[in-house]
Amino acid sequence: MVTIFRYTLRRFRGQILGWGVALALLCVLLVSMYDTIGAQQEQLEDLLKFYPAEFTAFFGDFSSFGTPEGFLSVELLSYMPLILGIFAVLRGSGLVVSDEENGRLDLIIAYPVSRTALFMGRLLAFVTATVAILAICWLGIVVPMNWSSMDIGWGRIWLPLLSVLAELLVFGTLALLLSMVLPSRRLAATTAGLLLVSSFFITGLAHISEDLETIAKLSPLNYYQTQDAFQGLNGAWLAGLLVAAVVFAALAWWRFQRRDIRVGGEGGWRLPSVSLPFRRRAGE
Amino acid sequence: MSDIVIDVQDLTKSYGRVRAVRDIDLKVRRGEIFGYLGPNGAGKTTTMRCLLDLIRPDGGTVRVLGLDPQADAVAVQARAGYLPGELRLDPNMTVEGALRYFNALRGNKVDWGFVRQLTERLDLDLKPIIKNLSHGNKQKVGVVQALMHRPELLLLDEPTLGLDPLMQHEVLRLITEAKAGGATVFFSSHIMPEVEAVAERVAIIRKGVVVEVAEPASLINRAVRRSKVRFKQAVDISSLANLPGVTVLSQDDGTSVLLQVEGEMDDLIKALAAFPVSDFETERPSLEEIFLAYYEDDQKEE
Repeated sequence: MVTIFRYTLRRFRGQILGWGVALALLCVLLVSMYDTIGAQQEQLEDLLKFYPAEFTAFFGDFSSFGTPEGFLSVELLSYMPLILGIFAVLRGSGLVVSDEENGRLDLIIAYPVSRTALFMGRLLAFVTATVAILAICWLGIVVPMNWSSMDIGWGRIWLPLLSVLAELLVFGTLALLLSMVLPSRRLAATTAGLLLVSSFFITGLAHISEDLETIAKLSPLNYYQTQDAFQGLNGAWLAGLLVAAVVFAALAWWRFQRRDIRVGGEGGWRLPSVSLPFRRRAGE
Repeated sequence: MSDIVIDVQDLTKSYGRVRAVRDIDLKVRRGEIFGYLGPNGAGKTTTMRCLLDLIRPDGGTVRVLGLDPQADAVAVQARAGYLPGELRLDPNMTVEGALRYFNALRGNKVDWGFVRQLTERLDLDLKPIIKNLSHGNKQKVGVVQALMHRPELLLLDEPTLGLDPLMQHEVLRLITEAKAGGATVFFSSHIMPEVEAVAERVAIIRKGVVVEVAEPASLINRAVRRSKVRFKQAVDISSLANLPGVTVLSQDDGTSVLLQVEGEMDDLIKALAAFPVSDFETERPSLEEIFLAYYEDDQKEE
Protein backbone atom coordinates (compact mmCIF):
# COMPACT_ATOMS: atom_id res chain seq x y z
CA MET A 1 0.00 0.00 0.00
CA VAL A 2 2.91 2.34 0.79
CA THR A 3 4.33 1.87 -2.73
CA ILE A 4 0.95 2.60 -4.31
CA PHE A 5 0.51 5.63 -2.04
CA ARG A 6 3.93 7.07 -2.86
CA TYR A 7 3.56 6.43 -6.57
CA THR A 8 0.09 8.00 -6.71
CA LEU A 9 1.18 10.99 -4.65
CA ARG A 10 4.12 11.49 -7.01
CA ARG A 11 1.66 11.58 -9.89
CA PHE A 12 -0.34 14.21 -7.97
CA ARG A 13 2.69 16.51 -7.65
CA GLY A 14 1.76 18.68 -10.60
CA GLN A 15 -1.84 18.95 -9.46
CA ILE A 16 -0.81 19.90 -5.92
CA LEU A 17 1.54 22.59 -7.15
CA GLY A 18 -0.80 23.88 -9.84
CA TRP A 19 -3.93 24.13 -7.71
CA GLY A 20 -2.07 25.04 -4.51
CA VAL A 21 0.09 27.81 -5.95
CA ALA A 22 -2.77 29.29 -8.02
CA LEU A 23 -5.03 29.47 -4.98
CA ALA A 24 -2.22 30.69 -2.74
CA LEU A 25 -1.50 33.56 -5.17
CA LEU A 26 -5.19 34.47 -5.13
CA CYS A 27 -5.09 34.44 -1.32
CA VAL A 28 -2.00 36.65 -1.27
CA LEU A 29 -3.74 39.11 -3.57
CA LEU A 30 -6.93 39.16 -1.49
CA VAL A 31 -5.21 39.54 1.88
CA SER A 32 -2.98 42.27 0.45
CA MET A 33 -6.07 44.12 -0.82
CA TYR A 34 -7.83 43.92 2.54
CA ASP A 35 -6.44 47.21 3.89
CA THR A 36 -7.28 49.11 0.70
CA ILE A 37 -10.80 47.77 0.68
CA GLY A 38 -11.14 48.39 4.42
CA ALA A 39 -10.39 52.10 3.86
CA GLN A 40 -13.45 52.32 1.64
CA GLN A 41 -15.59 50.22 3.92
CA GLU A 42 -18.56 52.56 4.22
CA GLN A 43 -18.92 53.17 0.48
CA LEU A 44 -18.64 49.44 -0.18
CA GLU A 45 -21.30 48.58 2.36
CA ASP A 46 -23.61 51.16 0.76
CA LEU A 47 -22.96 49.58 -2.63
CA LEU A 48 -23.57 46.07 -1.35
CA LYS A 49 -27.00 47.09 -0.06
CA PHE A 50 -28.11 47.49 -3.67
CA TYR A 51 -26.99 44.00 -4.68
CA PRO A 52 -29.94 41.67 -5.32
CA ALA A 53 -30.60 39.01 -2.70
CA GLU A 54 -30.25 36.31 -5.40
CA PHE A 55 -26.65 37.37 -5.85
CA THR A 56 -25.64 37.78 -2.23
CA ALA A 57 -27.25 34.47 -1.27
CA PHE A 58 -24.33 32.61 -2.80
CA PHE A 59 -21.57 34.61 -1.15
CA GLY A 60 -22.47 34.71 2.53
CA ASP A 61 -23.16 37.52 4.96
CA PHE A 62 -22.25 40.83 3.29
CA SER A 63 -23.02 42.80 6.47
CA SER A 64 -19.78 41.64 8.01
CA PHE A 65 -17.72 42.29 4.88
CA GLY A 66 -15.62 44.77 6.86
CA THR A 67 -14.33 42.17 9.29
CA PRO A 68 -11.35 39.97 8.30
CA GLU A 69 -13.49 36.84 8.69
CA GLY A 70 -16.36 38.28 6.67
CA PHE A 71 -14.00 39.53 3.97
CA LEU A 72 -12.32 36.15 3.58
CA SER A 73 -15.68 34.39 3.59
CA VAL A 74 -17.16 36.53 0.84
CA GLU A 75 -14.06 36.90 -1.30
CA LEU A 76 -12.62 33.39 -1.03
CA LEU A 77 -14.29 30.77 1.10
CA SER A 78 -17.80 31.13 -0.33
CA TYR A 79 -16.82 29.64 -3.70
CA MET A 80 -13.76 27.62 -2.68
CA PRO A 81 -15.56 24.23 -2.55
CA LEU A 82 -16.91 24.87 -6.03
CA ILE A 83 -13.49 25.70 -7.47
CA LEU A 84 -11.54 23.02 -5.66
CA GLY A 85 -14.50 20.70 -6.19
CA ILE A 86 -13.38 20.49 -9.84
CA PHE A 87 -10.09 19.02 -8.63
CA ALA A 88 -11.89 16.65 -6.26
CA VAL A 89 -14.35 15.43 -8.89
CA LEU A 90 -11.75 14.96 -11.62
CA ARG A 91 -9.21 13.23 -9.42
CA GLY A 92 -11.79 11.21 -7.52
CA SER A 93 -13.42 9.89 -10.68
CA GLY A 94 -10.04 8.99 -12.16
CA LEU A 95 -8.42 7.62 -9.03
CA VAL A 96 -8.81 4.02 -10.19
CA VAL A 97 -10.68 4.19 -13.47
CA SER A 98 -8.34 6.42 -15.47
CA ASP A 99 -5.61 3.77 -15.21
CA GLU A 100 -8.20 1.14 -16.01
CA GLU A 101 -9.35 2.97 -19.13
CA ASN A 102 -5.83 3.48 -20.41
CA GLY A 103 -4.96 -0.16 -19.75
CA ARG A 104 -2.35 0.32 -17.02
CA LEU A 105 -4.39 -1.19 -14.21
CA ASP A 106 -4.40 -4.58 -15.95
CA LEU A 107 -0.69 -4.96 -15.22
CA ILE A 108 -0.63 -3.31 -11.79
CA ILE A 109 -3.44 -5.45 -10.42
CA ALA A 110 -1.60 -8.58 -11.59
CA TYR A 111 1.13 -7.76 -9.07
CA PRO A 112 0.90 -9.09 -5.51
CA VAL A 113 -0.99 -6.06 -4.26
CA SER A 114 -4.50 -6.68 -3.01
CA ARG A 115 -7.30 -4.64 -4.46
CA THR A 116 -7.86 -3.20 -0.98
CA ALA A 117 -4.23 -2.07 -0.72
CA LEU A 118 -4.37 -0.53 -4.18
CA PHE A 119 -7.64 1.24 -3.46
CA MET A 120 -6.60 2.49 -0.02
CA GLY A 121 -3.15 3.59 -1.19
CA ARG A 122 -4.69 5.69 -3.94
CA LEU A 123 -7.44 7.07 -1.71
CA LEU A 124 -4.91 8.06 0.91
CA ALA A 125 -2.83 9.82 -1.75
CA PHE A 126 -5.93 11.72 -2.88
CA VAL A 127 -6.66 12.83 0.71
CA THR A 128 -3.02 13.84 1.20
CA ALA A 129 -3.00 15.81 -2.07
CA THR A 130 -6.19 17.63 -1.07
CA VAL A 131 -4.75 18.49 2.36
CA ALA A 132 -1.51 19.64 0.68
CA ILE A 133 -3.41 22.00 -1.66
CA LEU A 134 -5.28 23.47 1.30
CA ALA A 135 -2.03 23.78 3.25
CA ILE A 136 -0.45 25.79 0.41
CA CYS A 137 -3.61 27.89 0.30
CA TRP A 138 -3.35 28.42 4.08
CA LEU A 139 0.21 29.64 3.60
CA GLY A 140 -1.11 32.05 0.99
CA ILE A 141 -3.34 33.57 3.67
CA VAL A 142 -1.07 33.58 6.71
CA VAL A 143 2.13 34.84 5.04
CA PRO A 144 0.67 38.12 3.68
CA MET A 145 -1.08 38.66 7.03
CA ASN A 146 2.39 39.79 8.20
CA TRP A 147 2.09 42.99 6.14
CA SER A 148 -1.67 43.35 6.37
CA SER A 149 -3.89 44.57 9.19
CA MET A 150 -5.91 41.38 8.78
CA ASP A 151 -5.53 39.65 12.08
CA ILE A 152 -6.88 36.16 12.31
CA GLY A 153 -4.94 33.57 14.26
CA TRP A 154 -2.97 31.12 12.11
CA GLY A 155 -4.76 28.22 13.68
CA ARG A 156 -8.20 29.76 13.22
CA ILE A 157 -7.64 30.02 9.45
CA TRP A 158 -7.67 26.22 9.40
CA LEU A 159 -11.22 26.00 10.77
CA PRO A 160 -13.09 26.92 7.56
CA LEU A 161 -10.43 25.10 5.54
CA LEU A 162 -11.32 21.93 7.44
CA SER A 163 -14.88 22.43 6.30
CA VAL A 164 -13.62 22.86 2.71
CA LEU A 165 -11.63 19.65 3.13
CA ALA A 166 -14.72 17.75 4.30
CA GLU A 167 -16.69 18.99 1.28
CA LEU A 168 -13.91 18.02 -1.11
CA LEU A 169 -13.72 14.56 0.40
CA VAL A 170 -17.48 14.15 0.00
CA PHE A 171 -17.42 15.11 -3.68
CA GLY A 172 -14.15 13.28 -4.40
CA THR A 173 -15.39 10.02 -2.91
CA LEU A 174 -18.79 10.47 -4.55
CA ALA A 175 -17.01 10.78 -7.92
CA LEU A 176 -14.96 7.70 -7.03
CA LEU A 177 -18.10 5.74 -6.24
CA LEU A 178 -19.75 6.86 -9.47
CA SER A 179 -16.66 5.80 -11.42
CA MET A 180 -17.09 2.31 -9.99
CA VAL A 181 -20.70 1.95 -11.12
CA LEU A 182 -20.91 4.04 -14.29
CA PRO A 183 -19.39 2.85 -17.58
CA SER A 184 -16.75 5.54 -17.95
CA ARG A 185 -14.69 7.98 -15.99
CA ARG A 186 -16.02 10.85 -18.07
CA LEU A 187 -19.62 10.04 -17.21
CA ALA A 188 -18.74 9.71 -13.52
CA ALA A 189 -16.94 13.07 -13.51
CA THR A 190 -19.80 14.76 -15.38
CA THR A 191 -22.42 13.37 -13.00
CA ALA A 192 -20.43 14.27 -9.89
CA GLY A 193 -19.73 17.72 -11.34
CA LEU A 194 -23.42 18.30 -11.98
CA LEU A 195 -24.20 17.27 -8.40
CA LEU A 196 -21.54 19.69 -7.14
CA VAL A 197 -22.93 22.63 -9.12
CA SER A 198 -26.52 21.69 -8.24
CA SER A 199 -25.58 21.54 -4.59
CA PHE A 200 -24.02 25.02 -4.81
CA PHE A 201 -27.12 26.52 -6.41
CA ILE A 202 -29.65 24.72 -4.24
CA THR A 203 -27.81 25.73 -1.07
CA GLY A 204 -27.53 29.34 -2.21
CA LEU A 205 -31.10 29.66 -3.44
CA ALA A 206 -32.45 28.02 -0.29
CA HIS A 207 -31.45 31.23 1.53
CA ILE A 208 -34.03 33.16 -0.43
CA SER A 209 -36.64 30.49 -1.16
CA GLU A 210 -38.27 28.51 1.61
CA ASP A 211 -39.45 25.93 -0.94
CA LEU A 212 -35.87 24.75 -1.37
CA GLU A 213 -35.06 24.43 2.32
CA THR A 214 -36.10 20.78 2.51
CA ILE A 215 -34.11 19.66 -0.52
CA ALA A 216 -31.18 21.80 0.59
CA LYS A 217 -30.86 19.56 3.63
CA LEU A 218 -29.70 16.84 1.25
CA SER A 219 -27.11 19.12 -0.28
CA PRO A 220 -23.56 18.61 1.08
CA LEU A 221 -22.80 22.31 0.67
CA ASN A 222 -25.65 23.09 3.08
CA TYR A 223 -23.28 21.92 5.81
CA TYR A 224 -20.34 23.95 4.59
CA GLN A 225 -19.09 26.43 7.17
CA THR A 226 -17.36 29.65 6.21
CA GLN A 227 -17.56 32.71 8.45
CA ASP A 228 -19.20 30.87 11.34
CA ALA A 229 -16.36 28.37 11.37
CA PHE A 230 -13.96 31.05 12.64
CA GLN A 231 -15.92 31.12 15.90
CA GLY A 232 -15.82 27.33 16.17
CA LEU A 233 -16.76 24.51 13.87
CA ASN A 234 -20.10 22.79 14.06
CA GLY A 235 -18.70 19.38 14.93
CA ALA A 236 -21.86 17.52 13.98
CA TRP A 237 -21.88 19.00 10.49
CA LEU A 238 -18.20 18.29 9.98
CA ALA A 239 -18.57 14.76 11.28
CA GLY A 240 -21.65 14.23 9.10
CA LEU A 241 -19.73 15.22 5.98
CA LEU A 242 -16.79 13.01 6.91
CA VAL A 243 -19.13 10.07 7.57
CA ALA A 244 -20.72 10.62 4.15
CA ALA A 245 -17.24 10.58 2.56
CA VAL A 246 -16.36 7.38 4.42
CA VAL A 247 -19.63 5.75 3.31
CA PHE A 248 -19.04 6.73 -0.35
CA ALA A 249 -15.45 5.46 -0.16
CA ALA A 250 -16.55 2.21 1.48
CA LEU A 251 -19.18 1.59 -1.20
CA ALA A 252 -16.62 2.33 -3.93
CA TRP A 253 -14.15 -0.08 -2.28
CA TRP A 254 -16.86 -2.75 -2.00
CA ARG A 255 -17.70 -2.37 -5.67
CA PHE A 256 -14.02 -2.42 -6.69
CA GLN A 257 -13.53 -5.71 -4.83
CA ARG A 258 -16.21 -7.38 -6.91
CA ARG A 259 -15.88 -5.94 -10.36
CA ASP A 260 -13.88 -7.01 -13.39
CA ILE A 261 -10.87 -4.97 -14.42
CA ARG A 262 -11.76 -3.76 -17.87
CA VAL A 263 -9.31 -3.41 -20.73
CA GLY A 264 -10.10 -0.74 -23.28
CA GLY A 265 -13.78 -0.71 -22.43
CA GLU A 266 -14.04 -4.50 -22.45
CA GLY A 267 -17.10 -5.56 -20.52
CA GLY A 268 -18.24 -2.00 -20.09
CA TRP A 269 -21.73 -0.83 -20.78
CA ARG A 270 -23.21 2.20 -22.39
CA LEU A 271 -26.28 4.19 -21.72
CA PRO A 272 -28.96 3.07 -24.18
CA SER A 273 -28.80 5.17 -27.31
CA VAL A 274 -31.89 7.16 -28.07
CA SER A 275 -33.11 6.73 -31.63
CA LEU A 276 -34.58 9.98 -32.77
CA PRO A 277 -37.57 9.77 -35.13
CA PHE A 278 -36.10 12.35 -37.49
CA ARG A 279 -32.71 10.65 -37.72
CA ARG A 280 -32.29 9.27 -41.22
CA ARG A 281 -30.41 6.13 -41.93
CA ALA A 282 -27.43 6.21 -44.23
CA GLY A 283 -28.49 5.73 -47.80
CA GLU A 284 -32.02 6.92 -47.29
CA MET B 1 3.13 -30.54 -4.64
CA SER B 2 0.55 -30.96 -7.40
CA ASP B 3 1.77 -31.74 -10.89
CA ILE B 4 -0.97 -29.56 -12.36
CA VAL B 5 -0.18 -25.85 -12.21
CA ILE B 6 -3.21 -24.55 -14.08
CA ASP B 7 -6.44 -26.45 -13.67
CA VAL B 8 -9.45 -24.93 -15.40
CA GLN B 9 -12.80 -26.70 -15.52
CA ASP B 10 -15.96 -25.56 -17.30
CA LEU B 11 -14.75 -21.97 -17.34
CA THR B 12 -17.40 -19.63 -18.69
CA LYS B 13 -17.25 -15.87 -18.96
CA SER B 14 -19.59 -13.47 -20.72
CA TYR B 15 -19.51 -9.74 -21.30
CA GLY B 16 -23.14 -8.83 -21.40
CA ARG B 17 -24.64 -10.90 -24.18
CA VAL B 18 -21.26 -11.82 -25.63
CA ARG B 19 -19.91 -15.16 -24.45
CA ALA B 20 -16.14 -14.74 -24.37
CA VAL B 21 -15.31 -18.27 -23.26
CA ARG B 22 -17.52 -21.31 -22.76
CA ASP B 23 -16.95 -24.51 -20.79
CA ILE B 24 -13.19 -24.39 -21.09
CA ASP B 25 -11.22 -27.28 -19.65
CA LEU B 26 -7.45 -26.95 -19.45
CA LYS B 27 -4.73 -28.61 -17.46
CA VAL B 28 -1.19 -27.28 -17.65
CA ARG B 29 1.47 -29.46 -16.08
CA ARG B 30 4.30 -28.23 -13.91
CA GLY B 31 7.36 -27.27 -15.91
CA GLU B 32 5.80 -27.38 -19.37
CA ILE B 33 5.50 -24.69 -22.02
CA PHE B 34 1.90 -24.54 -23.07
CA GLY B 35 0.84 -22.60 -26.15
CA TYR B 36 -2.62 -21.11 -26.33
CA LEU B 37 -3.65 -20.42 -29.90
CA GLY B 38 -6.59 -18.71 -31.44
CA PRO B 39 -7.58 -15.82 -33.66
CA ASN B 40 -8.34 -12.39 -32.24
CA GLY B 41 -11.37 -12.41 -30.00
CA ALA B 42 -11.30 -16.18 -29.52
CA GLY B 43 -11.04 -15.87 -25.74
CA LYS B 44 -7.31 -16.26 -25.06
CA THR B 45 -6.92 -13.05 -23.08
CA THR B 46 -10.15 -13.64 -21.18
CA THR B 47 -8.88 -17.06 -20.06
CA MET B 48 -5.55 -15.62 -19.01
CA ARG B 49 -7.13 -12.77 -17.07
CA CYS B 50 -9.37 -15.19 -15.18
CA LEU B 51 -6.24 -17.02 -14.02
CA LEU B 52 -5.00 -13.88 -12.27
CA ASP B 53 -8.35 -12.73 -10.89
CA LEU B 54 -8.38 -9.65 -13.10
CA ILE B 55 -11.87 -10.73 -14.14
CA ARG B 56 -14.26 -13.10 -12.39
CA PRO B 57 -15.67 -16.12 -14.22
CA ASP B 58 -19.42 -16.59 -14.50
CA GLY B 59 -19.04 -20.32 -14.06
CA GLY B 60 -16.56 -23.12 -13.64
CA THR B 61 -13.55 -23.50 -11.41
CA VAL B 62 -10.02 -22.18 -11.74
CA ARG B 63 -7.03 -23.37 -9.72
CA VAL B 64 -3.61 -21.83 -10.26
CA LEU B 65 -0.58 -23.23 -8.42
CA GLY B 66 -3.06 -25.16 -6.31
CA LEU B 67 -4.85 -21.98 -5.23
CA ASP B 68 -8.16 -20.35 -6.03
CA PRO B 69 -7.24 -17.02 -7.67
CA GLN B 70 -10.35 -15.33 -6.32
CA ALA B 71 -9.67 -16.34 -2.74
CA ASP B 72 -5.85 -16.12 -2.84
CA ALA B 73 -5.21 -13.56 -5.56
CA VAL B 74 -2.15 -12.03 -3.93
CA ALA B 75 -0.55 -15.44 -3.29
CA VAL B 76 -1.07 -16.44 -6.93
CA GLN B 77 0.18 -13.09 -8.23
CA ALA B 78 3.28 -13.27 -6.03
CA ARG B 79 4.29 -16.54 -7.71
CA ALA B 80 3.32 -15.59 -11.26
CA GLY B 81 4.72 -13.24 -13.88
CA TYR B 82 2.26 -11.68 -16.30
CA LEU B 83 2.66 -9.91 -19.61
CA PRO B 84 -0.65 -8.46 -20.82
CA GLY B 85 -1.55 -8.54 -24.48
CA GLU B 86 -2.06 -4.80 -24.54
CA LEU B 87 0.82 -3.55 -22.45
CA ARG B 88 0.42 0.00 -21.13
CA LEU B 89 3.06 1.63 -18.97
CA ASP B 90 3.28 5.00 -17.25
CA PRO B 91 4.59 7.13 -20.12
CA ASN B 92 6.37 9.59 -17.84
CA MET B 93 8.61 7.09 -16.07
CA THR B 94 12.02 6.00 -17.23
CA VAL B 95 12.53 2.33 -18.03
CA GLU B 96 14.52 1.94 -14.81
CA GLY B 97 11.89 3.88 -12.83
CA ALA B 98 9.14 1.61 -14.13
CA LEU B 99 11.11 -1.56 -13.36
CA ARG B 100 12.01 -0.29 -9.87
CA TYR B 101 8.35 0.51 -9.27
CA PHE B 102 7.38 -3.02 -10.32
CA ASN B 103 10.12 -4.33 -8.04
CA ALA B 104 8.69 -2.26 -5.16
CA LEU B 105 5.26 -3.78 -5.83
CA ARG B 106 6.91 -7.16 -5.28
CA GLY B 107 8.40 -6.02 -1.99
CA ASN B 108 11.86 -5.20 -3.45
CA LYS B 109 12.69 -8.91 -3.64
CA VAL B 110 14.02 -8.86 -7.19
CA ASP B 111 17.69 -9.49 -7.85
CA TRP B 112 18.64 -6.31 -9.70
CA GLY B 113 21.66 -8.02 -11.24
CA PHE B 114 19.26 -10.38 -13.01
CA VAL B 115 17.25 -7.40 -14.25
CA ARG B 116 20.43 -5.97 -15.77
CA GLN B 117 21.16 -9.32 -17.41
CA LEU B 118 17.69 -9.39 -18.94
CA THR B 119 17.87 -5.81 -20.20
CA GLU B 120 21.30 -6.42 -21.69
CA ARG B 121 20.15 -9.54 -23.47
CA LEU B 122 17.16 -7.71 -24.85
CA ASP B 123 19.27 -4.67 -25.71
CA LEU B 124 17.05 -2.45 -23.59
CA ASP B 125 18.43 0.85 -22.33
CA LEU B 126 17.28 1.71 -18.79
CA LYS B 127 17.54 5.47 -19.13
CA PRO B 128 14.91 6.54 -21.72
CA ILE B 129 11.45 7.72 -20.76
CA ILE B 130 8.76 5.21 -21.63
CA LYS B 131 6.84 7.58 -23.90
CA ASN B 132 9.92 7.93 -26.11
CA LEU B 133 10.25 4.18 -26.62
CA SER B 134 9.20 2.28 -29.72
CA HIS B 135 6.47 -0.33 -29.40
CA GLY B 136 9.07 -3.08 -29.49
CA ASN B 137 11.12 -1.56 -26.68
CA LYS B 138 7.99 -1.13 -24.54
CA GLN B 139 7.30 -4.81 -25.14
CA LYS B 140 10.81 -5.59 -23.90
CA VAL B 141 10.02 -3.73 -20.65
CA GLY B 142 6.94 -5.92 -20.38
CA VAL B 143 8.96 -9.09 -20.91
CA VAL B 144 11.56 -8.04 -18.32
CA GLN B 145 8.97 -7.19 -15.66
CA ALA B 146 7.30 -10.56 -16.20
CA LEU B 147 10.55 -12.51 -15.84
CA MET B 148 12.58 -10.47 -13.37
CA HIS B 149 11.41 -12.16 -10.18
CA ARG B 150 11.96 -15.66 -11.60
CA PRO B 151 8.30 -16.68 -11.21
CA GLU B 152 7.06 -20.23 -10.92
CA LEU B 153 4.41 -19.50 -13.51
CA LEU B 154 4.66 -17.26 -16.55
CA LEU B 155 1.46 -16.04 -18.18
CA LEU B 156 2.43 -14.33 -21.39
CA ASP B 157 -0.11 -12.88 -23.77
CA GLU B 158 1.62 -12.49 -27.14
CA PRO B 159 5.14 -12.12 -25.68
CA THR B 160 6.90 -11.43 -28.98
CA LEU B 161 4.38 -8.92 -30.28
CA GLY B 162 6.11 -6.03 -32.02
CA LEU B 163 9.63 -7.44 -31.62
CA ASP B 164 12.07 -7.87 -34.48
CA PRO B 165 13.01 -11.48 -35.41
CA LEU B 166 16.26 -11.37 -33.43
CA MET B 167 14.49 -10.24 -30.30
CA GLN B 168 11.68 -12.73 -30.88
CA HIS B 169 14.31 -15.42 -30.88
CA GLU B 170 15.87 -14.03 -27.69
CA VAL B 171 12.53 -13.91 -25.90
CA LEU B 172 11.87 -17.53 -26.88
CA ARG B 173 15.28 -18.41 -25.46
CA LEU B 174 14.39 -16.65 -22.22
CA ILE B 175 11.15 -18.61 -22.09
CA THR B 176 12.91 -21.93 -22.58
CA GLU B 177 15.51 -20.94 -19.99
CA ALA B 178 12.72 -20.10 -17.54
CA LYS B 179 11.30 -23.56 -18.17
CA ALA B 180 14.71 -25.09 -17.64
CA GLY B 181 14.79 -23.26 -14.31
CA GLY B 182 11.55 -24.99 -13.32
CA ALA B 183 8.97 -22.45 -14.43
CA THR B 184 5.71 -23.33 -16.11
CA VAL B 185 4.89 -21.18 -19.12
CA PHE B 186 1.41 -20.51 -20.46
CA PHE B 187 1.55 -18.26 -23.47
CA SER B 188 -0.56 -17.16 -26.36
CA SER B 189 0.79 -16.30 -29.75
CA HIS B 190 -0.18 -15.68 -33.32
CA ILE B 191 3.23 -16.69 -34.62
CA MET B 192 2.90 -20.41 -35.25
CA PRO B 193 6.56 -21.23 -35.97
CA GLU B 194 7.51 -19.92 -32.53
CA VAL B 195 4.77 -21.92 -30.85
CA GLU B 196 5.90 -24.98 -32.76
CA ALA B 197 9.48 -24.28 -31.72
CA VAL B 198 8.96 -24.00 -27.97
CA ALA B 199 5.53 -25.32 -26.93
CA GLU B 200 5.29 -28.85 -25.64
CA ARG B 201 1.52 -28.81 -25.84
CA VAL B 202 -0.92 -26.44 -27.44
CA ALA B 203 -4.60 -25.69 -27.09
CA ILE B 204 -6.57 -24.20 -29.96
CA ILE B 205 -9.43 -21.98 -28.92
CA ARG B 206 -12.13 -20.96 -31.35
CA LYS B 207 -15.10 -18.75 -30.55
CA GLY B 208 -14.54 -19.19 -26.84
CA VAL B 209 -14.33 -22.98 -26.96
CA VAL B 210 -11.17 -25.08 -26.74
CA VAL B 211 -11.37 -27.34 -29.78
CA GLU B 212 -8.05 -29.14 -29.49
CA VAL B 213 -5.38 -29.81 -26.89
CA ALA B 214 -2.37 -31.78 -28.11
CA GLU B 215 1.35 -31.84 -28.67
CA PRO B 216 2.28 -29.89 -31.82
CA ALA B 217 3.88 -33.00 -33.35
CA SER B 218 0.75 -35.03 -32.69
CA LEU B 219 -1.40 -32.34 -34.29
CA ILE B 220 0.85 -32.34 -37.32
CA ASN B 221 0.88 -36.13 -37.53
CA ARG B 222 -2.87 -36.25 -37.34
CA ALA B 223 -3.28 -33.67 -40.05
CA VAL B 224 -4.29 -34.37 -43.63
CA ARG B 225 -1.31 -34.24 -45.97
CA ARG B 226 -0.64 -35.01 -49.60
CA SER B 227 1.94 -37.53 -50.79
CA LYS B 228 3.14 -38.17 -54.33
CA VAL B 229 4.62 -41.55 -55.17
CA ARG B 230 6.43 -42.42 -58.44
CA PHE B 231 7.02 -46.03 -59.42
CA LYS B 232 9.68 -47.55 -61.65
CA GLN B 233 6.93 -49.30 -63.63
CA ALA B 234 3.15 -49.34 -63.83
CA VAL B 235 1.61 -50.97 -60.76
CA ASP B 236 -1.82 -51.81 -59.42
CA ILE B 237 -2.44 -49.38 -56.59
CA SER B 238 -5.80 -50.70 -55.44
CA SER B 239 -4.16 -52.03 -52.25
CA LEU B 240 -3.02 -48.48 -51.42
CA ALA B 241 -6.49 -47.08 -51.94
CA ASN B 242 -7.85 -49.56 -49.43
CA LEU B 243 -5.56 -48.40 -46.64
CA PRO B 244 -7.36 -46.66 -43.76
CA GLY B 245 -7.12 -42.86 -44.04
CA VAL B 246 -5.71 -42.97 -47.58
CA THR B 247 -7.56 -41.50 -50.53
CA VAL B 248 -6.33 -41.59 -54.13
CA LEU B 249 -6.60 -38.12 -55.58
CA SER B 250 -5.15 -38.84 -59.01
CA GLN B 251 -2.96 -41.36 -60.85
CA ASP B 252 -1.03 -41.44 -64.12
CA ASP B 253 -1.13 -44.76 -66.00
CA GLY B 254 -0.01 -46.64 -62.92
CA THR B 255 3.45 -45.02 -62.72
CA SER B 256 2.61 -42.26 -60.26
CA VAL B 257 -0.12 -41.50 -57.79
CA LEU B 258 -1.18 -38.54 -55.64
CA LEU B 259 -2.58 -39.60 -52.29
CA GLN B 260 -4.27 -37.80 -49.45
CA VAL B 261 -3.30 -39.28 -46.09
CA GLU B 262 -5.17 -38.56 -42.92
CA GLY B 263 -3.36 -39.38 -39.70
CA GLU B 264 -0.20 -41.45 -39.27
CA MET B 265 1.91 -42.34 -42.34
CA ASP B 266 3.00 -45.69 -40.94
CA ASP B 267 0.54 -47.92 -42.84
CA LEU B 268 1.24 -46.23 -46.15
CA ILE B 269 5.03 -46.47 -45.80
CA LYS B 270 4.77 -50.17 -44.95
CA ALA B 271 2.46 -50.81 -47.87
CA LEU B 272 4.77 -48.98 -50.28
CA ALA B 273 7.59 -51.35 -49.36
CA ALA B 274 5.93 -53.90 -51.64
CA PHE B 275 6.15 -51.58 -54.66
CA PRO B 276 9.09 -50.53 -56.88
CA VAL B 277 9.15 -46.93 -55.65
CA SER B 278 11.44 -44.52 -57.51
CA ASP B 279 10.45 -41.35 -55.64
CA PHE B 280 8.33 -40.34 -52.68
CA GLU B 281 7.36 -36.80 -51.74
CA THR B 282 5.19 -35.72 -48.90
CA GLU B 283 4.42 -32.31 -47.53
CA ARG B 284 4.71 -31.76 -43.82
CA PRO B 285 1.96 -29.37 -42.76
CA SER B 286 3.03 -26.68 -40.34
CA LEU B 287 1.19 -25.88 -37.16
CA GLU B 288 0.20 -22.70 -38.92
CA GLU B 289 -1.63 -24.63 -41.62
CA ILE B 290 -3.43 -26.70 -39.03
CA PHE B 291 -4.38 -23.57 -37.14
CA LEU B 292 -5.53 -21.91 -40.36
CA ALA B 293 -7.65 -24.95 -41.17
CA TYR B 294 -9.59 -24.33 -37.95
CA TYR B 295 -9.77 -20.66 -38.77
CA GLU B 296 -11.00 -21.29 -42.30
CA ASP B 297 -13.85 -23.33 -40.87
CA ASP B 298 -14.87 -20.23 -38.98
CA GLN B 299 -14.80 -18.12 -42.09
CA LYS B 300 -16.89 -20.64 -44.00
CA GLU B 301 -19.46 -20.67 -41.22
CA GLU B 302 -19.64 -16.90 -41.37
